[in-house]
This record gives sequence, C-alpha cells and structure tokens, in this order.
Amino acid sequence: MPVLETKDLTYQYGIGTPFQKTAVEKVSISIRKGEFLGVIGHTGSGKSTLIQMLNGLIRPTGGQVLLDGKDIWAEPKKIRDVRFRVGMVFQYPEYQLFEETVWKDIMFGPKNMGLSENEAKERAMEAAHFTGLKEELLEKSPFELSGGEKRRAAIAGVIAMDPDVLILDEPTAGLDPRGRDVLLAQITQYHKARGNTVLLVSHSMEDIGRTADRLLVMSGGHAVMLEETKAVFSKGEELEKLGLRVPQITKIMQELYKMGCPVDPATLTVDDAFGQLLPFFKRKEELR
Amino acid sequence: MIADITLGQFFPGHSMLHKTDPRVKICLIIFHIVLIFTAGNFFSLGLVVLFTFLGMCVSKVPLKLYVKGLKPILFIVVFTAVLNIFYGTGEPLVQWGWLKITGNGILNALFVSVRIVLLIFTSSVLTFTTSPNQLTDAIERLLKPLSKLHVPVHEFAMMMTIALRFVPLLLEETDKIMSAQKARGADMESGGILQRIKALIPVLIPLFVSAFRRAYDLATAMESRCYHGGEGRTKMRVLKLGKQDVFILGAVALFLGAFLLLNLWLPPAILR
Amino acid sequence: MAFLEVKQVRFSYDAQTADAREVLHGVDLEIEEGEFVALLGHNGCGKSTMAKLFNGMLLPTAGKVLVGGLDTSLEENQLPVRKQVGLVLQNPDNQLVAGIVEEDVAFGPENLGVPPVEIRRRVDEALKAVEMYEYREHAPHKLSGGQKQRVAIAGIIAMETKCIVLDEPTAMLDPKGRGEVMGTIQKLNREKGITIVLITHYMDEAVQAGRVVVMDEGDILTSGTPRQVFQQVEFLKRHSLDVPQAAELVYRLGASGVKLPEIPLNEEECVAMLRRYLAGRAGALS
Repeated sequence: MPVLETKDLTYQYGIGTPFQKTAVEKVSISIRKGEFLGVIGHTGSGKSTLIQMLNGLIRPTGGQVLLDGKDIWAEPKKIRDVRFRVGMVFQYPEYQLFEETVWKDIMFGPKNMGLSENEAKERAMEAAHFTGLKEELLEKSPFELSGGEKRRAAIAGVIAMDPDVLILDEPTAGLDPRGRDVLLAQITQYHKARGNTVLLVSHSMEDIGRTADRLLVMSGGHAVMLEETKAVFSKGEELEKLGLRVPQITKIMQELYKMGCPVDPATLTVDDAFGQLLPFFKRKEELR
Repeated sequence: MIADITLGQFFPGHSMLHKTDPRVKICLIIFHIVLIFTAGNFFSLGLVVLFTFLGMCVSKVPLKLYVKGLKPILFIVVFTAVLNIFYGTGEPLVQWGWLKITGNGILNALFVSVRIVLLIFTSSVLTFTTSPNQLTDAIERLLKPLSKLHVPVHEFAMMMTIALRFVPLLLEETDKIMSAQKARGADMESGGILQRIKALIPVLIPLFVSAFRRAYDLATAMESRCYHGGEGRTKMRVLKLGKQDVFILGAVALFLGAFLLLNLWLPPAILR
Repeated sequence: MAFLEVKQVRFSYDAQTADAREVLHGVDLEIEEGEFVALLGHNGCGKSTMAKLFNGMLLPTAGKVLVGGLDTSLEENQLPVRKQVGLVLQNPDNQLVAGIVEEDVAFGPENLGVPPVEIRRRVDEALKAVEMYEYREHAPHKLSGGQKQRVAIAGIIAMETKCIVLDEPTAMLDPKGRGEVMGTIQKLNREKGITIVLITHYMDEAVQAGRVVVMDEGDILTSGTPRQVFQQVEFLKRHSLDVPQAAELVYRLGASGVKLPEIPLNEEECVAMLRRYLAGRAGALS
C-alpha cells in the first residue's frame, strides 16, 4: 500500500474573486513506502502548494490526500498528528529557529508531540547526529551558528519528530558546493538508515539525478510525469518543453549514445558514466 | 490569508484622479471627510454620497475592490449601528424592558454607518489612486514648513516609504514562519488567550530576527546608492499644479457651495 | 593605474582583536575599467567582505582601496566612490526601497541631486537596459526573484556608475531567474562597457567572465582566464568550489590515462571534445 496517495487533489486561490487561480488541478499520485521521490517543476508549477497539502498545512479545495489509506481531513482536529507523520522542511528553514539553544529548538517538535523531556532529548540527539551537527554546538544559541549549521539545526528539528515521510523543499538553496554535497549525502544516509519515505524538491537536476529513485514532474498545476528517474530523464525533449532540463552528465551521455557509443543514454551520475566510458576509451587508446 | 486585505493598496491606472497632484488629493480628502461628518440632513448626506460615488467612478478602479476594502471594517459598522439604534433619545417606537428603539436612534444608526462607509470609500479613493511614494512625497511637501521648526519631516516620510514597501513582505513572511512552526506541531488555533500569546513566540522571534536582517541589508543598499538624508535630494516627479488640478478644485468649490446651502438652510435630520 | 585597486588590504570585523578574527590577510587585486571579473570562493572565504570594501561600505583595517584613484577611507570620497561603484546584494527582497519599480530605480539619482527631467530619462533607459520597462509601475513584491534583481541592477545603472559589484546575486534565484540576471550582466558589460565584479560560487557563471579570481581563507589563491583557472580541477575541489559534471568526467578520464586535451568548461565543449577524440583527432578546443 502506498504511504501517501492523492485523489483528484485540487487547490484554488481566491475562489469567487476576480483573482481566482488554480494552483493544483486534479493531481492523483501515489507515493511508495520507503522511496526517495524527487519533485521537479519550475517556479509556479504548483509543487509548493502540492507538498503543503500533503502534510495538511493547506487544506485542499477539492479531492483527497490519503495517508496510509485514510483521508487526512477526515478529522480536522487531528491534523497535527498528520504533520508529525509527514515532516516538512521549508525553503530556508533556518528562518524558523527561535529557541535559546539549538537543543531546545530541535526539541520543539518532539515536545509538541507530547514526548517527555528525556525522550525529546534522545530524539534531538539522534537528529543532530543525522544532520552532522557537532555536540558542542547544541548548547549554543541558534543565532550564533554559521549559515550552513543553522540550516542543519532546522532540518534536525523536523527529523527529530521521526516522520514516516520527510518532505524537503530545496534544502540546499543558497549553500556553497561543499555544503550542498555534504547535506545531500546526509539526507541520503538518513533515508537509508531509517528506510522512511523522502520527498526532495529541487531545481538542480544534478542533485535530483544522483539521489532520487523516482521523479514527479509538475507543470501548470498538473502532475505530468511520475516515473523512475531514468525514464523521466530519457525524455529530454519533453522536459525542455516544460522549461526543465536533464542533468549535464545525462545530456553528455545521450549525445555520445547518438554518436554510436555503447553507453546508457539514461546515465545519472558521473561515477556511472566514468565506469562505462573508461573501458571503452581505454580500448580506443590501445588502438592508437 | 493576511495578504488579502485590499484597504490601503495602490491600484495603478491612468484615470484623472491618478494624475491629480497628490497634495491636492490629500487636502480634498481631509476636507471631504470634514464634510461627511458635518452633513446633518438627508440632502447634504445625499450630496456627499453622490460626490464620493463620483470620485469612485472617476478613479476607474473596479467598484468590487472598494467593497472588498470594506470587509474588514464591516464588523465595526454593524456594531456602531446597533449601539446607536439602542441609544437614541425621544419617544420609543418599540420597547423591551430597558431596551428601546427610537426614531432618532434609527436615524443616528443610519447616519453613523453611512458616514463610516463613506469614510472608508473616500480614503480608498486616495490610496487606490495614489502610489505610496506619491503619498509620502505629498505629505513630506505639505509638512515641509515644519522642518523649519526642526521637525524631521524628510526622515519621517522616508520611514513611511520603507514601512509601506516592507509591510507586504513581512506579512508574507509571517505566513511562511507560521506554516513552518505549524509543520513542527505548533498549535496556534486552540487554547486560552495566555496560551495563544505563548504560541506566538515561535513566530515573533524569527520574524524580529528576520526584520533586523532585512533592515541591515536595506541600510547597506541605501547607503550604497548614495543616500545621505534629505539634503540636496531631488525628486523624479515634480509636483506641479496643472490644469486638471485647477479643474478639480473648481468642481469641489461648486460642490462645497451646494453642500453649505443644503446643510445650513435645511433643518438637521438628527438631534444632538 | 587600474580602476579598482586593492593594496595589501587586511580586514577584521572587530578591530580590537584584529588577529583573532581577521577576514582578509593582505589582499592585492587590480581591476581595469570595462573588465568582467568573477570572484570565486566558498561561503565564509571573505568574498562578501571584498564586495563591501569596493564601494567603501567597509573600510580596510590596514592597506588601501582606491576607486578611480580615490581612497575609499577618506570621508570626503564616500559619495564620489559610491557614485562610481554600485552594489547588488544577494537577497532581492531587501534592497528595493520604494513600493513602485520606477520610483525605486529613481532612488539613486534622486540622492545624487540629479534634475527631475534627467532622472526620468535615466530611469527609462535603465529599465529598458534590464528589460523591465513594461513593469515600471508594478510593485516589487509581485515580481519574480530574477525580475527584482534586474530592478536592483537598473537602480544602479540609473546612477551612471562605472562599475557594478554583485554579491552572489543569483544564489536565491531559480534557474530561470539566474539566466535572466546573468544575461543582463553580460549585456551591460559588452554593450555599455560597465565594469563587472561578480561574486559567486557557481562555475557556470564564472566561466562567462573575462577573468576569474579564486579566494579562500581571506587570501587570493589564483587568478586567470576561466580556461586557465578551471583546468585545475584538483585545486578547485580542494577549496570546495563547484566542478561541473562535464569537467569532473573529463578530469577523471584524464587521470586514468585517457589522453584528452583539456578540461571542458561546459557540456557542449565536452561533447565536441569527445566527438573529436572518438574520430581519432586529439585537437585542443581553443
């Protein structure tokens, strides 16, 4: 059974005013338990609205969101429980930090869940570990941390609720290349260790290409594709029509494939490309 | 959402009112508001209603927007109207115990609510047709004589400009932070007053931190663009009274004459 | 004499404890008029401090910064320096002052006391140069990030500055916005001869510059044409700079003994090079 499912999910802004606009229209998707799902689509494609409906922050104007088969709005009073189970890390999450110490901030979520001080502390410790926050930082005020550390503390605050589904909206935006690589590695590691479901929204096709099992492509409020990452990225021309592109390495391999090289045109990582090309090029080199 | 409030928003356009000198508009609006509150009988009230409506039409802003701007105030209108109905003097028309409704009360309620609505519409005409910058610009120039008395008029106007620019931004940000905290299970919709105030801390602190960060950036940007106070500063838009302004002033003078005539020579409809 | 001269500049945010938190340790840099220089480095390497030193928003703790021969540390040079060097910041929301696009663009010239008719002309021209003229009466908060950044750039062009320093102007933008801003910067440099100092950590943006300067730990490590600098993949990685997948692939093939002539700067170059290699020619790209 899918962990999250949507049925004709729709959201309209300003119903009944001249500014009425449909942000998400009849989206029916199903998200598998334990998968790493990438979400792509350009700004205004409806992806932000969609993910906020998945954890009940926005109430749909039509259709349903099913969590383990149950409509999350069946009992509106229990919507908080849904938010604990579907964790959401917003863009630039460091702007949500507010407590006196990093510790307390990470514990905010677990405590809202009704956990005891000790349990919350344990959760916070574990979350800090997953995001690579050093222990000595935990006693500091979150406002004393560097930009990258703040980002990690904020993500830890959501991970600490131990959600079944973790949604991350552009978690690497504004970080430098090293910060980006480290954070992505930590997220993949977390996903592997916990075996829970992760949704990653990103503009970077390279990041998506090397992390996601499947891809959801949003455009104009519709879910236009939901397939294996390789299958989506082998449709380069269709993606370009939607204002999207494929990872650089995929593009290169596709060109080589067209030239007649025996390579996989849907290669997603440099490692994979290197592994395929090296023997081929070595042989060429020997022929010289 | 908070951003839905239309009251006090500029609606870009090219109507006659959009082109009128903002100083003229401010003076007229103040003047018109005085008239709204001195209209004492149905004829003069009718005349201010007509004049307000005329202004709304000339502004070429969809009337729907004016009505929308009324929404947040509607409660106050109804509340004061109800209060007035029961606080009238004179012979009661209906009476339950100590509650009584008098003819005078109904009239009072009618006048008060019409006045409030007119007040909102009138100020909307000003804010819809005048960009925030024009508005502060006009205020700055109208108050300029005060700077001789060492009142920091320019600084005040600049503060207003910046406040107007950042209000929508901060509202949006409040929305975002609230969502982020709700996603961590913050409960802002239930509990008593004390609990609700406490629940706001996770929103207010990040909001303040962010406002300071923005202020720091803005100061850097302003200084980088050679801002050094009001001294030696020029303006892209020079405010000059044109033909149109004279025309509008003329129309208003006519209206004033008619108003005085009706208001003074006809008996007042409500007793004070 | 170069247009921008940074001479032995040291900088510390807390002058009292100078050594403990020094951000720049004696930096030398010269930038000629009309150049397009990319300043590359990871977060916290001192490049944002450099940006604020260029227009005198920060003053060096030791050493000198000269703009068109004017020492930025002298009080009387403050306005003349800022008139010549404009600054665009990372966050597009925080640097626009007015609630209407054209009034914001007019802010700089107004501060300089330019006559109204001239301001009008400059504002229109600046907005056309960044292709935002149709939006002149819009409110900034309704624009996209890329559009806001272009308005910020217009606000500086309207001051008729000779040089624009951009501090990670695309870091908060989506790919579309990034493309718009980079296109605008390129155009201003080529068509108007405006000196550009672009601070970034994206290599695909830095390759568009005429010269790349790499910074780390408050020092300049290397400087040269993009082609020269980006050949050193190992070096870039060591200083946690961005290495595009095309460059990474060719570098690793080269390290394993495949004789490819050089590191490509983008995917087109990479494909062309591999094509040539497979056809049996090992010709270099440039």
